Amino acid sequence: MFEARLVQGSLLKKVLESIKDLVTDANFDCSNNGFALQAMDSSHVSLVALLLRSDGFEHYRCDRNMTMGMNLSNMSKMLKCAGNEDIITMKADDTGDVVTFMFESPDQDKISDFELKLMDIDSEHLGIPDTEYAATVKMPSSEFMRICRDLSSIGDTVTISVSKDGVKFSTTGDIGQANITCRQNTSVDKEEQTIIELQEPVTLTFALRYLNSFTKATPLAPTVQLQMSKELPVVVQYLIADMGYVRYYLAPKIEDDETAEAA
Amino acid sequence: MGIKGLTKLLSDYAPGCMREQKFEGYLDRKVAIDASMHIYQFMMVVGRSGEQQLTNEAGEVTSHLQGMFTRTLRMLKAGIKPVYVFDGKPPTMKGGELAKRKDKREAAESALEKAKEAGDQEEIEKLSKRTVRVSKVHSEEVMKLARFLGLPVFEAPCEAEATCAALCKAGLVYAAASEDMDTLCFSTPKLARNLMAPSSQEKPILEFDFDKLLAGLELTWDQFIDVCILCGCDYCDSIKGIGPVNALKYIKQYGNIEGLLEHLDKEKYPVPDDWPYKEARVLFKNPEVVQTDGLTLKWTAPDEEAVVAFLCGEKSFNEDRIRKQLADLKKARSQGGQNRLETFFGAATVKSSTVGKRKEPEKGKGKFGAAGGKKSKGVTKRKF
Repeated sequence: MFEARLVQGSLLKKVLESIKDLVTDANFDCSNNGFALQAMDSSHVSLVALLLRSDGFEHYRCDRNMTMGMNLSNMSKMLKCAGNEDIITMKADDTGDVVTFMFESPDQDKISDFELKLMDIDSEHLGIPDTEYAATVKMPSSEFMRICRDLSSIGDTVTISVSKDGVKFSTTGDIGQANITCRQNTSVDKEEQTIIELQEPVTLTFALRYLNSFTKATPLAPTVQLQMSKELPVVVQYLIADMGYVRYYLAPKIEDDETAEAA
Repeated sequence: MGIKGLTKLLSDYAPGCMREQKFEGYLDRKVAIDASMHIYQFMMVVGRSGEQQLTNEAGEVTSHLQGMFTRTLRMLKAGIKPVYVFDGKPPTMKGGELAKRKDKREAAESALEKAKEAGDQEEIEKLSKRTVRVSKVHSEEVMKLARFLGLPVFEAPCEAEATCAALCKAGLVYAAASEDMDTLCFSTPKLARNLMAPSSQEKPILEFDFDKLLAGLELTWDQFIDVCILCGCDYCDSIKGIGPVNALKYIKQYGNIEGLLEHLDKEKYPVPDDWPYKEARVLFKNPEVVQTDGLTLKWTAPDEEAVVAFLCGEKSFNEDRIRKQLADLKKARSQGGQNRLETFFGAATVKSSTVGKRKEPEKGKGKFGAAGGKKSKGVTKRKF
């Protein structure tokens, strides 16, 4: 039996919006630890990892570890039927083939039950090592979203360079080029801050298409954190207050030196 | 060609070994392609109307080049790294099969003459497809084109699919790509089908995993080869009356062909007089292949001028169109290569849902589509 009640139901709606563009079908892992997911896009260039810790739910029960396969766009269709103020409860039997979403309006005068058919799917998981990153940038998530959106109207890739002065986003396209630099900024308002922690300067290039889909998580958190190391995928993290996180990994573009490598 | 009824047998008895993959999912993957087989396909379909094929001004057929060019560019743009392998000499054992094909072709040719007299357009198209013949010149032209496009090209000492399998076994490529199911008999760890299908058909890549195949059928490699020989392969005849399902059943029951022959009712199932199944086994187990030790594969940028000179100069392709396609490719390449996450984090492990219903493989896709998926659930559990 799995049961999880989330008072702030809109959170689940937002979580789903943040992953459904990247992944079509995914396995959700339910355990005592919480409600989690790891999934890759179809070309295996990016990965999303979600964790909603059990203590973040008002009520959480998971008798046995379960892996539930769902079609995310269908799940999103159902969650869209929940009001933004609704309390959402997820329920599933250990052996059943559906998951139930129950929506309760805040004043308890309307209760809806939606049953989603589960799918038995194979998903591919990567073992991601814990690493120290050479550069960590914390910045307002809305600012990051804006930059990615703006640059993708000019070019297809963005080069992110982090130095101790700031973080620079640049792109080149057919019509010209663009550079945006955000300086370290420790303003009083925490949500407005741009903070850079640096072991050594890093420069990496990424496909903007993926970064743009990561920024669908912007409503989840006021701040986004980018972690980069030379020749490693970037980690783009949105912390969900008192609950967990949505984390994205994206493989960098590499210089094609025309002579290819051995397999 | 290939193994008769193997796809259906696998979808019924070892559905776990088949997986549909998106074309984009092959990004940054190296794939060994059985080019000879594909040339044949292209000559049959690309640009055909009735008996007419694409030709240049001199009347030489160019369907194979058109097909190879567009499909190769599609792969390169998607970041796939193809290696082309061409057939060398056919194994002598294949003589019987080749003679049969020749007979069929000749029969088709004479039927074609009749159809032409009768003016039956549909028949003409159908029959002229059967008269397609791939000559050495066609292969060499495609080889030339592939080299100009900067791809590694191999001429296999013998069958191309055997070399594809060997490259895959050596870890030089991710998968062998062929529509020919006997590639699996050469124990290629992964076989990819539909990789060269036209984008308009939107066919997903159908991937076969050899280890899962053996596990699913509960056979060893040797036994699997015996099953395939019984199903009917290119190298020798099969026993009349024994189809794929019985082949699997008997090999499981008796262990191998020898065991089966001891128990078989030879009245009911006449065994061919001269049946070289042992030799066929050797061909599958120890085929002549390209030496893979110390081999490295290199991809380079396409030589635009050479491609244009060859396709447009010699073969009357439209220069604007070729240049535009090459420019698109160049643009895609200029944005740098894109690695997969596995490059950094190591291979993925597969995790299955613990609840919910398994989606059945899609049905009715082409002649060899994964038909009969529904039946599979009950049948796989049946004990022989």
